[in-house]
Amino acid sequence: MSARLAAAIAALLLLAAPASAQLGAATQSPPPAGVAEGEGAAHPRGHYAALDALPDWGGIWFVAVERPAAGAPPAPQPRLKGEYLAQREAWAAEVRANDGVARRTRSNCSPPGMPRIMRLAQYPYEFIFAPGRVTINQEAWMQTRTIWTDGRAHEEDPDPSFMGDSIGRWEGDTLVVDTIGISGELEIDTGWPHSDRFHLVERIRLDPANPDLLVNEMRMEDPEALEEPFEVTVKYRRDRYGKLLEFQCAENDRNPVNEDGHTEYH
Amino acid sequence: MTRSGRPFLAALSLAALAVPAWAHHSYSMFDMDKTVVLEASVVRFKWQNPHAFIEADVAAKGGTERWSIEMTSPNNLAQEGWKRTSLKPGDKVRIWVHPLRSGARGASYAGVRLVDGTTLGDVG
Repeated sequence: MSARLAAAIAALLLLAAPASAQLGAATQSPPPAGVAEGEGAAHPRGHYAALDALPDWGGIWFVAVERPAAGAPPAPQPRLKGEYLAQREAWAAEVRANDGVARRTRSNCSPPGMPRIMRLAQYPYEFIFAPGRVTINQEAWMQTRTIWTDGRAHEEDPDPSFMGDSIGRWEGDTLVVDTIGISGELEIDTGWPHSDRFHLVERIRLDPANPDLLVNEMRMEDPEALEEPFEVTVKYRRDRYGKLLEFQCAENDRNPVNEDGHTEYH
Repeated sequence: MTRSGRPFLAALSLAALAVPAWAHHSYSMFDMDKTVVLEASVVRFKWQNPHAFIEADVAAKGGTERWSIEMTSPNNLAQEGWKRTSLKPGDKVRIWVHPLRSGARGASYAGVRLVDGTTLGDVG
């Protein structure tokens, strides 16, 4: 073998193996609490046919924007308490003093996380059923949300995250989702803070009077930030053959946030 | 821009929970109470999330002004009849916009009359 060929083969071998990898050393995670070995979402085979019993949520779904009727009572707002109420009041005062403009502390290419991302007017959603899990793909920021429906319990101490830790169950045709572990740096909605003990329950089902309308009744609790549970209902309308489009924010970021927290425009 | 529009905008942003949140950033930079009609020559039309946008030259005293017009998401625009090929460079179109409150040559799209005379969106 020539020296050149040997060098070429050596280079190919290097490409084939990740640096410092050892075959057979893959992580072996234990089953989550509440799921027996050999069961749950990680073992989908043999459980696909059962998915046919679930309701028809096919297609993609856009938030249905409902303008309040003239004279309608104002929409309910979260009743904050303690330091969270003080944060809210300081934020509102600043917005008033700044011509209605709220300062941002992170990039506009950073997603809002839960629960706001379930209420975005511009970007649709899709719901994918698989054994032991429901996956919500969101066009916004191309986010993926997983709801475990295989009977597992919440993680004991989930890492705070944008989506949190969601477990769900089917009550008839209603998907009931329980979410904890949402980062306390996120908000209920713009200018409405919550703590890292924020707890969300969603009841999602088709409107019995209109199968092309999906209704999500959201109930939010927070023993540190909320005086009482905050409830809001979101409705989504179906586009049966629509599809989600790519969302590569960094490729089209015309709204950078400057060091004063103001969104710029290019 | 009228001063009277500002308290309304402030109220709008403070009452944001009344309607689903706007993505992917606040609209408070635009004067949504004011509509400007532009006779525009399209320079570029970008069909991409988080917002589609139009760059266009608009006749002004002593030459042209380059405007940058932000739109909603392509998936929302498609529901209004838009396509990636609805505009091409050189198209002479009329565009209805809500201008930036800063006075810079930027705006939020409201509606358009295309080269073939058809209209999309809110044109008055």
